[in-house]
Amino acid sequence: MSTTLASAEDGRATRALASSRPVATGAVLLALACALGLLEASLPPLPVTPWLRFGFSNIAVVVALALGGASMAAVVGIGRVVLVSLATGAIFTPVFAMAATGAAFSVTTMWVVSRVPGLSPVGWSSAGSAAHVIGQFLAAALLLGSPGVVVLAPPSVAVAVVFGAIVGSLAQSIISRVQNEWTRERGRGGTTPR
Amino acid sequence: MPMTRGDHIFVGALVAAALLVWPLVASAGSAGDTALVTGPEGVSSVSLRADSAFVVQGRIGEVDVLVENGTVSVEEASCPDQVCVHTGAVSAPGAAVACVPNGVIITIEGDGIEYDARIR
Repeated sequence: MSTTLASAEDGRATRALASSRPVATGAVLLALACALGLLEASLPPLPVTPWLRFGFSNIAVVVALALGGASMAAVVGIGRVVLVSLATGAIFTPVFAMAATGAAFSVTTMWVVSRVPGLSPVGWSSAGSAAHVIGQFLAAALLLGSPGVVVLAPPSVAVAVVFGAIVGSLAQSIISRVQNEWTRERGRGGTTPR
Repeated sequence: MPMTRGDHIFVGALVAAALLVWPLVASAGSAGDTALVTGPEGVSSVSLRADSAFVVQGRIGEVDVLVENGTVSVEEASCPDQVCVHTGAVSAPGAAVACVPNGVIITIEGDGIEYDARIR
């Protein structure tokens, strides 16, 4: 009698946990993305390609895609641009338009690529990084009203793919840690949403 | 899950594709390196990548334009104060040589790679 009651309560508790965990995970990753984005914004520009960044905040987006799927990745990826732009005062400026276009391209591409079998988050992140740069250059060309800046795009994409792979492997280590933790919890009788 | 074989191929292919497209885009982009010659008889476009010399018919006379080493200058003009000749050779996108009495304006087209904003 007492055991059935206990397990029924367990069931409610695990259901509550199951529904709140994606929210908590997404929120933590969004915070991480913003922190990494702001940190990187305060670093000096790269020597050879001052218009490129490593894109460390994409670590959080890749992790969100792996753990929470496309919707969590979209919230983290787009939400990060909005929040960081608010914090740096760039919101609704041309810079914001470029960043938002890049983020939208990146998240969409990573979601598509993540459905391709045989690719790990390293591959997703590389593709996302390339898409981010392409999106930004398209936005820049539209804003400038001339396609001239696109000349800079191919070398930038080549560099960005390598940066993306580095970011992807960093994300990879976070993903496997979290997944291990969730697997252990399931072993202890907890739940593992997605 | 470590980096897979698929990742290696995929990342390599992306870099290769970007590098392959580079020359195509670069040539298309620098095609904007032209000078736009506006005169009373109309507008014409001249490439700065090949040296050339030509005469533009102005309102009060002729304007001799010289294209050399990617720059454009006015060699000789039939105007009183020769401002256009003294302007010298220009090559930067947006730069212009104007011979106002003749109604001839030469502007460099193309997009300078100069930063207005930097994405941070």
